[in-house]
Parts: sequence; structure tokens; C-alpha cells
Amino acid sequence: MLKINNLHASVEDKAILRGINLEVKAGEVHAIMGPNGSGKSTLASVIAGKDEYEMTEGEILLENENINELAPEERAHKGIFLSFQYPIEIPGVSVTNFIKTAINETRKANGLPDMPANEMLKMIREKSEMLEIDRKFLSRSLNEGFSGGEKKRNEIFQLAMLEPKLAILDETDSGLDIDALRIVANGVNKLRSKDNAVIVITHYQRLLDHIVPDFVHVLYEGRIVKSGGKELAHELEEKGYDWIKEEVNA
Amino acid sequence: MELKEKLIASFMAFENLVDIDLPVHDVRSEAIKEFESQGFPSKRDEAWKYTSLNSILKHDYSVFPKLENHIDYNDIKKYFIHDIDTYKIVFIDGKYSSHLSETTHDGIDVCLMSSALSKPKYRLIIENYFNKVATKDSLSSLNTAFSQEGAYIHIPKNKLVAKPIQIVHFSTGNEAALMLQPRNLIVVDENSHVQIIERHQSLTDNPVLTNSVTEVFANKRAIVDYYKIQNDNQNASLIDSTFVNQKRESVASVHTFSFGGKLTRNNLNFYQNGERIDSTMKGITIIGNKQHVDHNTLVHHIEPNCESHQDYKGIYGDSSTGVFNGKVLVNREAQKTNAFQANNNILLSDKASINTKPQLEIFADDVKCSHGCTIGQLDDSAMFYLRSRGIPEKEAKALLMFAFSNNVMSSVKIPEIKQRITKIIANKLGVNTGFDL
Amino acid sequence: MKYTEDDLREELKTKEYEYGFYTDIESDTLPIGLSEDVVRAISLKKEEPQWMTDWRVESFRAWQEMIEPEWANVNYVKPDFQAISYYSAPNTKPKLDSLDEVDPELLETFKKLGISLDEQKMLSGVAMDVVIDSVSVATTFKKTLNEKGIIFCSMSDAIKEHPELVKKHLGTVVPQKDNFYAALNSAVFSDGSFCYIPKGVRCPMELSTYFRINQANTGQFERTLVIADEGSYVSYLEGCTAPSRDENQLHAAVVELIAMDDAEIKYSTVQNWFPGNKEGKGGVYNFVTKRGICEKNAKISWTQVETGSAVTWKYPSCILKGDNSVGEFYSIAVTNNHQQADTGTKMIHLGKNTKSTIISKGISAGKSQNSYRGLVQINSRADNARNFSQCDSLLMGNDCGAHTFPYIEVKNKTAIIEHEATTSKIGEDQIFYCNQRGIDTEKAIALIVNGFSKEVLNKLPMEFAIEAQKLLEISLEGSVG
Repeated sequence: MLKINNLHASVEDKAILRGINLEVKAGEVHAIMGPNGSGKSTLASVIAGKDEYEMTEGEILLENENINELAPEERAHKGIFLSFQYPIEIPGVSVTNFIKTAINETRKANGLPDMPANEMLKMIREKSEMLEIDRKFLSRSLNEGFSGGEKKRNEIFQLAMLEPKLAILDETDSGLDIDALRIVANGVNKLRSKDNAVIVITHYQRLLDHIVPDFVHVLYEGRIVKSGGKELAHELEEKGYDWIKEEVNA
Repeated sequence: MELKEKLIASFMAFENLVDIDLPVHDVRSEAIKEFESQGFPSKRDEAWKYTSLNSILKHDYSVFPKLENHIDYNDIKKYFIHDIDTYKIVFIDGKYSSHLSETTHDGIDVCLMSSALSKPKYRLIIENYFNKVATKDSLSSLNTAFSQEGAYIHIPKNKLVAKPIQIVHFSTGNEAALMLQPRNLIVVDENSHVQIIERHQSLTDNPVLTNSVTEVFANKRAIVDYYKIQNDNQNASLIDSTFVNQKRESVASVHTFSFGGKLTRNNLNFYQNGERIDSTMKGITIIGNKQHVDHNTLVHHIEPNCESHQDYKGIYGDSSTGVFNGKVLVNREAQKTNAFQANNNILLSDKASINTKPQLEIFADDVKCSHGCTIGQLDDSAMFYLRSRGIPEKEAKALLMFAFSNNVMSSVKIPEIKQRITKIIANKLGVNTGFDL
Repeated sequence: MKYTEDDLREELKTKEYEYGFYTDIESDTLPIGLSEDVVRAISLKKEEPQWMTDWRVESFRAWQEMIEPEWANVNYVKPDFQAISYYSAPNTKPKLDSLDEVDPELLETFKKLGISLDEQKMLSGVAMDVVIDSVSVATTFKKTLNEKGIIFCSMSDAIKEHPELVKKHLGTVVPQKDNFYAALNSAVFSDGSFCYIPKGVRCPMELSTYFRINQANTGQFERTLVIADEGSYVSYLEGCTAPSRDENQLHAAVVELIAMDDAEIKYSTVQNWFPGNKEGKGGVYNFVTKRGICEKNAKISWTQVETGSAVTWKYPSCILKGDNSVGEFYSIAVTNNHQQADTGTKMIHLGKNTKSTIISKGISAGKSQNSYRGLVQINSRADNARNFSQCDSLLMGNDCGAHTFPYIEVKNKTAIIEHEATTSKIGEDQIFYCNQRGIDTEKAIALIVNGFSKEVLNKLPMEFAIEAQKLLEISLEGSVG
């Protein structure tokens, strides 16, 4: 599904990612953990194609196709979804209107006609029920005045609506209380299938109790310095990141 | 004779009193021509739409008070911030009073404009700074034409001036009507800090018209804190024009407290000539009777990454009128500007009125600018709440007004000024409470 | 290829006026220039009664004494009033009972504009009073309106058929000498719409007028008068678009609204006059005086979407004379290329418990300048007056400007006034967020602009909201959907 080879990226000439190698196969869940400032969010943004990061070396392949030069919306059309750590507010644009535009633009790019209104409505009803989202919420301006939890739930709602191949969840657990976390995690789990994959970026293992990863990678100073199974997450929770840093610096 | 003609005629008399061979005199001659062609502003001028000078221009002002006046310190002590050690530059009827002043040349210059204009050792500073930021509007030009006396403050590089500097102008009332035109120049060089307190005070009820101009230069990383206490008696009028020119990374603030006077017009202009500059202008106005206070502000954002904060609170009673005319101008180059402006007003009486005109003129696209303006009354439910807790009406009212002005007070850095202002406000409201701000 | 904000900006710059065509209809045009004789000739050609001629002449004499205002934040070459023709009427006088008899070329024009009468008649149930140049050429739905006692006709017809109403109300809200352009309009107004809603009648349909400048060098001086008698309601729509011209065309309309006790008038405008080409050449000068007066418990609501004109000078205002009356102003002004707009409103609170709301959204792109100028005045007897104003500006590009000049004058202590203004740009973060969800940059900007304008778009009647979005779309290059 996704293959990253020797990825280097910098922002304003400052190197943040310094040789990432990662392969994510269909049906897998990968967790990327690491201390603050290790480059986790940068990795997510670079995969999604954010402008301000410059890829200086390496390649990103999505289903064996090099997507280095693709615009963010083209990557989205090919099935990459990034759940933002800090979702953006767009005053005056309702959640429904936004998601409708996103779905139809993606369908247009893939040579499909607009989704019929009744089908769209049905889908909105299903997905919002799954995520226990109040219908009133859907008519509010996108992320404007949303609580932290509402913003994250809205991200997962969009994920559910867009049905991407690869979902990247960037610190989706931050700002969520335990109930909201469970709802969000259940939502993600229901969406998992043998045909899609998930990358979970998190500082803590708590979310990983609910979205159980097949692989855990530790990112430190722009490199993946350790990989393992889900037990690695527990180890990190218990021992913190210092021992990793020591291992690397030793 | 009309005041304008009288002033123009007086200019020749003035030339007999000053050294007309100095380069500064060319500046004066230009300025009197400017004033002659413009005349006094009228309500037809957009900047004076809400303030008419007619009532204060009708007096037959003395332009050159002849008498050398003496006042005893104890009689006027209360007009100083006297509970802390300060430098003082004191003028009586426009003339420097050495016995009331405490100036210095020790590493910094805190002294007189008249000597700075005439002595060679100040020539370079005068050449580089005098009349370089003041605008050429009619009243500033008039002041420039007659500029001779006032405060001269020059703080060289890396000096942290330990005591605040007080500039105080007294008028004795020995003249039936007096016009004063003080001119101040304040130059703060790189990385230096200074605090300045300014006050104008008449000692009798004879009419006084003060047309003051102050130029402030805050050079790189300088920090300038300026406090204006306006609590003059109600036959005194003040046109106070202050021009602040800031260089990069400097921080300048002007707080204006307007409680007294018949007519007060504050022109306050900030020019941000460098990056990462911070400008603050705040004011509290509490007036009654037929008083009139007009705040006319300008912040000109010229370069990127700068901030400005404006916060003016006004409480108007009786037949008083308030004006707030605040302009934020953002040049095309001034990207990432953050400019905030707030103007909140309370009308206490049926006859009081407020005219406010907050303006944004934005030519850059990546900016965050906002202004907010409210006009209202004291909150009835809050009043009731306080009174139901046993606080009498007058005190409750005062408490709410203090709370209303608190935003402005919180940024005052000299505690003694805070105390003084609190006292003046309490006095004005006729309450005696231990409110602490 | 990636479509960046810069690309969009570039495209915006090269956008030419979509409706820039010219219909060749033979016109009966007065010689250019203005004098008392011309004023009398206009009146004569229109077969007006003596009182109307006198009124015009009086206005003309006042205008001669006045000087052109200069206080607005706009720069333009002042029109040469002697180089304008003050009267032109299409020669082919259509019969009102059938559209087939209308000049086919004219119908073609409507089609290009997307306002075919048939379509409008069939689909939206909107009665049309179409002004091409200066004379009304078609009126529909007259019958339905007649049954309710509603008078909706051209001003020329009103002067002939309802002289008592016109005589009584014309110039009572905008006096002849109100301002330079109002005086000019009073002297030479060509035609316009007249509307009277009788006591207690709710007008069952949106009344609509499309204006159009067509003949080269023909100034347009519409005069509109809407009278809502006690307890009545009317929603009035006005829209316009003009063909591309090299010379500047002057448009100085006057609109007067009278809302009597308990009446309500909703007046919506979508304005798309030719804004000039991308070098800023040509384009319409739009100097309009619009004002309404509210009696007791009455309400006037102005909604406008302004995308056109080279220079706009326009302040739809409300005089809240009666107690408990309400004034509203909702506006979107889009400027692009070299357009200049100085628009806003005046809310004059005279009565007790009067309320006003001002929502103004300015969008500036290209090298344009967009100013909001407003006055909220609370007079000493206007107890418990309330005003809320919000003025937001959105900037696109670094060559444009957004300016806010709100005047607030309060002489009553029971007033509560709140004013807020913000200026911002479309954020890179917002665009990336949309991109990530598969929405390209052009569409993203459209979404954001639409969201920014929503509070105002929502105030338009449904049929008009679509038209308004269409115009926003044209002004910001097909990016709004």
C-alpha cells in the first residue's frame, strides 16, 4: 500500500526527517510513536503533501506509484486521508456542505458522477450514528467553536465518509476524554478492512489499547530508531522515551 | 484681532526674543507660513468633525507672559507624583523653574529645550530629530513656529534610567488668559529604558490654552513608557500632540488619563519604522459638566511583524462629550501585522454624547486586524447584585466603573501612578473606598 | 499541475467581463449635453404633466448650484456632464400583452443574461418590469397584482396614472437637493419603477426589476419609489448587468422606500455593472442614493451583493422615525482588478426602541480598493436604541486594500451599540486542509469565500440567492459553487 524509502524532508532549510523507511501493507495498522519534536507530525504532513515541507531525498510510493510530485488534493483523490492534529476552522461552511464538496471532488477526479443526494444523506445518517454525532452538529460551521473532542470526532466522521485507502491519524487522542476516545476508536475499527491501512501517530499508548497496532515504530530525531509489535508501546509507556534516546546516542 | 492674526503678528516679536541665526529658526519660519496658510482647524476638516475650537479661540490670550513667577513647592506638591524619587522638569507660565526642577546631565540629558536648541553640544541631536516626526498640520506648525521651551530628554545607548521623569507645566493665572506652546523632544537610544510622566496644571480659573507638541524617538530595542495625567481645572484647554517614531524591536506605550479640562484634544501618532515593534496606546476618560475630550489616534504599520494595541475606555456624565477617532493604517509591506483596537464607552446622562470613528485602512493581505467599539450603560443587573449585597448605589457605581477601566490600569507599570489615578477617579466619583486596581 | 493561489490570482487578473456584449437596437436619443431645455425636453418627450416638469426644473436649478462630493475613498475621472445623453428609448415599442412582439434581439439579450422573461415567468413566479436603457418595455403579472390592489409599474406610467401618489411621496425621503447626484437624478430621471402596496396587503410575489445600460454614452438615471402602506409587506428585487464599454458610464439612481406603520419592505439588490477591463479602463460609475423611512413598528431591510462597477458610491440607509421600527443592512461587496467601492449604510435612530443591524462583508482582490463607510446615529429622543454592526474584510492578494470607516454618534444614554470589525486573509492552512480532503485550491477558495459571505447570502430570497452566487462566481472567476 504505502512504501517510504529513505525520506528526507526539511522546513526552511532545517532538516526534520532524515531517512525514513517504512512499509505499510493493506490490512495493517502501524503506530508511530516518539518524543515531542521527533518529526511525527512532519511525517504525516509530508505524506499528505503539505507545501511548506521540502522533500530533499527519497520517495513515497502509494500502491507502487511514486506520489512525490502530486498536489495534496491529488493524493487525497488517490485515497490518502490525514486526520489533523489541529483541524482548521472554516467559518460559514457547514460540515455537510464541506464533506459533500470533498466527496464529489474526489469522485470527479476518479471519473465518477456526483453522489446522488439521497445516497449521500443515507451515508451521512449511518456514519454520524456510528460516531454518535448529533445531526445539529452537521449544520454548524466547520470546526468553528467546536470543542477539542468535537473537532476530532468530525475528523473521523470525514474519514468514515471518504473511505480512504490509507488513514493517517495525527495525535487523534489529544483532547479526547475516555468516552470520546472509545467512540472514535470504535469508529476507526469498524472502518478497518483487508483493503485499507491505518497509521496512528501518538505520543501515548492509550489510544493503542483501542486501536491495536500490528507494528509500532519509534521515531527519534527524524529516523525510525526502533520497531516492534504492540508490546513496544507498553514498554514506552512504562519506561518513557529516555532509554531509546540513550540507546541511540550510545 | 482674531487669535490667528494676533499669533502671526506676535511671531515678529518672538523673533526679537530668540536667536534667529540658529538653523532651527528656518524651521520656525517655515512653520509659521504653514500655519498662516492653514489657519485653525474647523469642523469642516474631517479630523475635527466632532470637536470645535470656537469656544476656546475667542479669548484674548497673552502669548508672552512677562512675569517671572514663583510658586512655593508645598502649594503644588500634590500635583507631582511625590512619593517616589523622580527627575523633574518644571515650567511656570511657560518659563523654566529651576528651583522646582531636578534635571541631570549625568550620563543622560534631562534638561531644557531652550538650551538644547542653542548649545552646540546638542546640535547633532537637534539636527537629526527636531521636527522630524511631528506632522505639518496647523496646530503642530503653530507650535513649531513658537518652539522655544519644553523638556529635552536624551538617553544614550544601553541606559536604564532609574527614576521616572516628570514634566509639569503650571500656569499661575497672573495673566487674564494665557496661551502656552511647550515643545518636548525625547530621544531614547538603543536598548535604553525610560519612563515619563507629563502633566499640565492651572492654579486659578483664568482660561489657559496649551498647544503642546512632543516628539518621541524610540530607537532600536528602546523601551519608552509615557503617562499623561490630564486633570486640569475646567477653564483650561489642552491640545496635546504626541508623535512617536519607533525603530525595530522597540516597545513604546502611551497611557492617557483624561479627567479634567474644558476641552482636551489628544493627537497621538505612532509610526513603526522597523520590524517587530510593539506599540500600545491606552486611555481612561471620565468627564462630566460640559467637558469635552477627543482622542485622535493613528498607528501606522510600515514594516512587517509588528503589533499595536489600543484600548480606550470612556465614561461620560452630565453634558460632556467624548470623541474617539482611531485609525490603523497598514502598509502593503507590513505583512503579519497584528493590530487591535478597542473603544468602550458608557454614557451616564441623557445629555452626554459620544462620537466614535474607529478606522482600519489595510493594504497588506496577511494581517490580523480588528476593532471593537461598544457604547452602553452600567449593567443594571450587576448594579442590583452589588446593592443586594449591601454596597450603596454610589459605591456600587464606582466599583463597576473601576472594573470597566481595569484593562487600562493593568498595564500601568509605575504603582504610584496607579494609586494616584485610582485616587483621582475615586475623588471624581465622590467615593472613598479602598478599591485596589 | 498544481493550482496555487497565485495561479488563481493570475486568472482573476485576466478575467474579462462575461456579459460584455452590446445589443444593436435603434435608439431615439436626445443630443448630448445638459441644460434647462434638455430637462424640459425630457419631460415633454415623456408626456409628463406640468407639475412634474416644474419639479424637474427646480431640481436642475438646485443641481447647478451644487458641487460634486469628494469625501469618498475613491479616485476617478469626474464625468463630463455635458458629454452625456440624458434620454434614450428603444424605438421598437413592444406590446405588453405578448412577448412575441418584443424585438427578438432584445429577447436574445435577455437570454445571454440568463433572465429570459419566459423562464422567469414560468419558473420563479417573479413579476418583471424590465428597463432597457430608460424606458420600461415589458411588464408581467400585472393581473395578479391588480387583484390585490398592488400598483407595480414604470415611473412614467405612475406619473400619468397615479399622479396623486407620486406627487405626495416623490422626494419625501430623498429630497431634490439631498446631494449632487440625487439632484441630478431628480432633474433628468428617465424611468424606473413605482410600487404601491395597499393597507394590510402582503404582496404574494417578489417584485423584480432588471436594469441594463445599453446605449453608448447614455447615462442612466432610474428613479424608484416603493410605498408600503400600513401593515403591508413587499419584497423587492433589483438586479443589473451592463455591456462592456470603453467610456465610463454614469449611473446615478435614486431609490426611495416608505414603510408606513407596521409595514415591512425587503429590498434586495444584485449589482453587476461592467467593472472596467483588467487595466481599469471603462466601467460604470455607480453613484446611488438609496434611503428608506420607517414609521411606527415598520421594518426596512436592505440586502445587496455588489460585484460590479468601476466606482461605486452607495449607502442604502434607514431613517428609523417611528417607535419600535427596525432597520437592517446586509451587504457583500466584491472588488477585483481596479474596481473601487465605497459603500455602507446609515442608520438614523429617531424613534424609541428602534433597532438596527449592519452586516457588511467586503472581499478585495486584484488592485481593488474596498471601503466600508457607515453611520450609526442615535438621537437624543431615541430611548433604548440598539445597534449591532459587524464589518468583515477578506483580502486576496497583496495589491488590494480594505478600509473601514464607521461613524458612531450617540446622544442618548440608554443606547447600546456594538461594533466589530475584522480583516483577514484566506489562510494557507485552510487551503491545505481542503486540499487534503480532495478539494482543489480554486474550489477551496470558493468554499471559503462562500462561507465568509453566508450570513448575507442567506438574507436573499431563494431565487435571488442563486443569481447572487452566480455573480460572486463571475467576480472571483468561476470559483464559487
